[in-house]
Amino acid sequence: MTARFRMRQALVIARLELKRVFLARRSLWIYGLAMLPAVLFFVHALQLRYELGRARQGGVVAPGVLESIETGMSEQQVLALAGAPGQDRERTIHRSSRREEGGKEIFESREVRTRRMVYFDGSRRAFLWFEDGRLRSKDVRPVLNFAEDREVYAGVFQYFYLRLAIFFGCLGIFLNLFRGEMMDKTLHFWLLAPARREVLLAGKFLAGWAAASVVFTGGAMLAFAAMLWPHAGAGAEAYWQGAGAMHAARYALAALMGCAGYGSLFLAASLWIRNPIVPAAVLLLWEASSGFLPELLQKLSVLYYLQSLCPVPAPMEADVPTLLKLLLAPAAPLPPWLAVAGLSAFSALVLWAAAAGARRIEINYSTD
Amino acid sequence: MSAQEIVFDNVSKFYGDVLGVNRIELRIPPGLTSIVGPNGAGKSTLMNLMCGLIHPDRGEIRVLGIPPRDPERLMRITGYATQFDAAPRWATGFDFVVSSLLLFGYSSSMAERLAWAALEQAGLTDAARRKVNSYSKGMRQRVRLAQALAHDPQVLVLDEPLNGLDPVVRAETIALFRQLAASGRHVVISSHVLQEVDVISDRVVLMANGMIVAEGDIRGVREEIHEHPSQFLIRCRQPARLASLLFERAPVVEARLMEGDGALLVLTRDRGEFTRILTRLASEGLGIDSIVPADENVHALYEYLVGGSA
Repeated sequence: MTARFRMRQALVIARLELKRVFLARRSLWIYGLAMLPAVLFFVHALQLRYELGRARQGGVVAPGVLESIETGMSEQQVLALAGAPGQDRERTIHRSSRREEGGKEIFESREVRTRRMVYFDGSRRAFLWFEDGRLRSKDVRPVLNFAEDREVYAGVFQYFYLRLAIFFGCLGIFLNLFRGEMMDKTLHFWLLAPARREVLLAGKFLAGWAAASVVFTGGAMLAFAAMLWPHAGAGAEAYWQGAGAMHAARYALAALMGCAGYGSLFLAASLWIRNPIVPAAVLLLWEASSGFLPELLQKLSVLYYLQSLCPVPAPMEADVPTLLKLLLAPAAPLPPWLAVAGLSAFSALVLWAAAAGARRIEINYSTD
Repeated sequence: MSAQEIVFDNVSKFYGDVLGVNRIELRIPPGLTSIVGPNGAGKSTLMNLMCGLIHPDRGEIRVLGIPPRDPERLMRITGYATQFDAAPRWATGFDFVVSSLLLFGYSSSMAERLAWAALEQAGLTDAARRKVNSYSKGMRQRVRLAQALAHDPQVLVLDEPLNGLDPVVRAETIALFRQLAASGRHVVISSHVLQEVDVISDRVVLMANGMIVAEGDIRGVREEIHEHPSQFLIRCRQPARLASLLFERAPVVEARLMEGDGALLVLTRDRGEFTRILTRLASEGLGIDSIVPADENVHALYEYLVGGSA
């Protein structure tokens, strides 16, 4: 048999396995996990677009106008400067005050005429508060904050996708490739094919990788698109033409490599260890604590390589304890090409060990 | 080791502390060979070992010269219909057979052609487009047979292949086995229903408790254990008198009157001498209607060999 024939066999196995992996009822929770951030970003985008729509209905002023409005100005001055506001509400309130006169406490109440005006400059809203015709406070809030949204996405990607969704999703997908078939009592069909066990392993890994990549890379990219959607226009376009496309590509690459790294580990674990919860727990612990380890040992964690691939560092509050900072931040990230090469080599090594496990497999459904 | 035989050389397999098979020495030539024994005798273990689904703890196996640890070569010449009843949920009968053929490197069109031919051989073309998990037990049995046959293997291993088949399909399937065996292939089937294989097999392998207790053709097996009495069922008008005469003149170990139907079951250690004397007695007016050897089926042999535990 030639290497080409074996490769074709592996592709046939992958194609047949994909149906099973995608159609399996036990995969449904994985789709939910992968799509959850995309749904949240989409809902957030809808909310922003609704707010923008409402703000635009009242008219848009030039961005410089908001800067020129200062506290102490009269209503007329502001109206002359900025025109009619998007929202305008007047009402009278009673304000109480207390003073002492001749050793007595005197309470007074007087009427105050208030007015709230809201202006919108296309991305920010200014809330102006007038009392008795004078501007008492000015609160400018951005409706859209692209930089903040990108930072939130970076956090979601690193803390949710890499540490949680891809980890547990790959656990569900790759453990089932052999162990699931053992439980369904269908593994013998594969073992009775005229294919080496290594070829079977490669085919199944490819199927799992393709399924996990479609689900998680797809989920991450949908979330990225949902994050960009409300910023459609000059801001997003400039970002996309600058670093945006490269950022998207690196997030996609990190998801792909995450599926390969965790997938190979869980596939190997399913072939060597009967109870999958044990290796999953050990791996989770190892990945979570890798920040404490010397740099050499850190390189044995999948997360180290994945974090090196992320284009934007995950946001971290200044008051985060040092101990937690160690857990969350990788030491000296690698250049992306080295991270890809390192993780590929690591996955290949793990799959090589898994192949030895595949050669040992025996069909004994009664005990599994 | 012969490249024309399936060879087990001192093979043992244990499942932890539980014995699967022990010290199996066996050579299976072309033709139809039946592995017979009660549940737990080790039949499926033997077949799984032969096809590489499990590996021996001791000893060596060669299937036409190929070790079972080389599935790439072995499964090209071998088709195995296991006893495992599960089937992939997504597959129709047709898809199920085609998908296995694609792994042989056949093109899609060739795989489809071969699959139809195999499904036709197994009598399953009408249900080919239905999902396998909607099949009856007999249909699932047949689709596994079709899958095992589809690539025209030299060695066909079938674990309890007649289970769940209706009488017509059973007769057709048996005819198919005979035809395949007659064409020079190795057809190895297992059964715990003894009567269903003794009439179709060229050879039998009798197993009990993980060991082979006898092997060869049925008559040969019987002769191998010549020290054990032969058994005859004699129908006559005076069975009590015949019993007494036989005890007097022939090497009879035991004679049992079968109540109510004028029959006598006799055990003898010397088959030749017994039949010579019986022929002489038949001419003495005892009204003997028929003499039937009662132990030339597998069941009787099996009872002898394993002490009636079948």
